[in-house]
Amino acid sequence: MASAHNGMRLTLKIWRQPSPQAAGRLQTYEMRDVSPDVSFLEMLDQLNEQLIAQGEEPVAFDHDCREGICGMCGVMINGQAHGPQNQTTTCQLHMRSFHDGDVILIEPFRADAFPVIKDLVVNRSAFDRIIQSGGFVSVNTGSAPEGNAIPVPRHMQEKAMDAAACIGCGACVASCKNASAMLFTSAKVSQMAYLPQGKAERSQRVLSMVAKMDEEGFGACTNTGECEAACPAGIQLSNIAVMNREYMRALLTSHE
Amino acid sequence: MATGSVENNSSWLKKLNLTWVTRLFTSSIGRKMVMGATGLGLCGFLVVHLAGNLFLYKGREAYDGYAHALHEQEWLPLAEAGLFALFLLHIYLAFVTTWENRRARSKSYVMRESKRQDRVIAAPVGSPSNWMFVSGAVVLGFLILHIIDMKLQLRPDVQHYAEHESFANAIAVLSNPVSQVVYCLGTVFLGFHLSHGFSSAFQSLGLNHPKYTPTIKVVGLIFAVVVAAGFFLLPIIVPMSPGLVEQAKQVEVSIDEAPAATAHP
Ligand code: HEM
Ligand code: FES
Repeated sequence: MASAHNGMRLTLKIWRQPSPQAAGRLQTYEMRDVSPDVSFLEMLDQLNEQLIAQGEEPVAFDHDCREGICGMCGVMINGQAHGPQNQTTTCQLHMRSFHDGDVILIEPFRADAFPVIKDLVVNRSAFDRIIQSGGFVSVNTGSAPEGNAIPVPRHMQEKAMDAAACIGCGACVASCKNASAMLFTSAKVSQMAYLPQGKAERSQRVLSMVAKMDEEGFGACTNTGECEAACPAGIQLSNIAVMNREYMRALLTSHE
Repeated sequence: MATGSVENNSSWLKKLNLTWVTRLFTSSIGRKMVMGATGLGLCGFLVVHLAGNLFLYKGREAYDGYAHALHEQEWLPLAEAGLFALFLLHIYLAFVTTWENRRARSKSYVMRESKRQDRVIAAPVGSPSNWMFVSGAVVLGFLILHIIDMKLQLRPDVQHYAEHESFANAIAVLSNPVSQVVYCLGTVFLGFHLSHGFSSAFQSLGLNHPKYTPTIKVVGLIFAVVVAAGFFLLPIIVPMSPGLVEQAKQVEVSIDEAPAATAHP
């Protein structure tokens, strides 16, 4: 157990918003004895215990796996999606990335397509609707085939796996000056375009996923590269080029 | 399902099936492709235009020779219309996409910080990619003055010559202080615009590969610097070259004293 006076003192400025319609504002909290070994979410847990003990409403924040794979936990920390560390989710960020006496500003991911539900929790179901519009394979591929029956060259497997690493956290949207969802959408588009099972529906997929993405009110890519830097899963900008290519191919070769 | 036997007014339109064109101009990705393609087209124009302008340094005969040869080409109106279309498309889409992108986040953050580790310009104002609309708008302002100066010759404070005196007219405009300031400013912003725009256009067109993307980025930066410097130096060096200014002055003499020309040897 951490001794009483070894921890860090922190000043937290947290966005509090009781409901989707409420105005919301930043509220300041002082914390002491924060161990550098706890994760960012555990630090928020500690704050919430403190708030509950004082009879105040705890800060609402999203989380689930706390091991960097579910994509639920994104918040803006000092203006950066998932905080200062590259390729790291908020739940995997540890307080040793901060210093004694730091002021930490915590805001929800902001995009009109991601409305705030409460405090730091936003509604990211626009992402689900983009996936529903085409981010799957609907051709019947039969029961699970023998692993080596469908020949996929190793470098294609690697590319598809890299794209499939997206956890759908929304950091790309949050960090983009245009609140664009292109990194997210392109990860799914290129993952499937690389694999034989996905090829049959590639044109229809990219056309409808992009149409959905636009309809949900996300902005367009201006190749600023902030999404790539903020992505905890290391999804690369080249996926967006693949999606652009897929889109051009669909415009020129499909009947739609 | 409607079959071929069903006749209606829009059947020929349906046969044409222009959804791909509509998608090109209404979807986020389609628009970006058109922006990229028109942007690169404009880059091509810049190269040709700068190359032509370099004749200024060779003097009146060379420059007028080039200008007259160009103006005699029958395809010139076609090329000008094409160039105008490129600009219109590029500027129209710049406004549309910028508007849509602003709308995508109506409530802004209290604090923003880049997570990129490879920033060349790590200024708090961000990189050129954050300022494309602003740099483009400044370039547009410069272009409007440039058209008024050179093509329409409407500036009351610039002494214009007969229309075919291309060299003398160019020197007159480039010696005007207002034009000098605006042109230099405009070209610096053009350089910023291109330092992101050139390589960005390739990405928008789907051309990104570890094999050539690093090269494109370097070429884009060199292109931006060379083109911006090339245009930037014109309104500085040309008016400061006594030889060139003298040649332009001779044009003035020959016009003003044309009736009395016999009095001179
Ligand atoms: C000689 C003039 C110009 C040239 C050579 C030029 C070139 C380019 C290029 C190559 C791009 C990259 C396209 C892409 O990312 O796909 C671009 C983007 C852009 N341009 Fe221009 N441009 C010019 C004038 C203008 C003007 C007059 C405006 C008016 C406001 C403008 C506004 C924009 C905007 C908003 C973008 C998009 C920025 C982004 O996606 O990050 N440009 N331009
Ligand atoms: S809580 Fe699952 S990724 Fe952070």
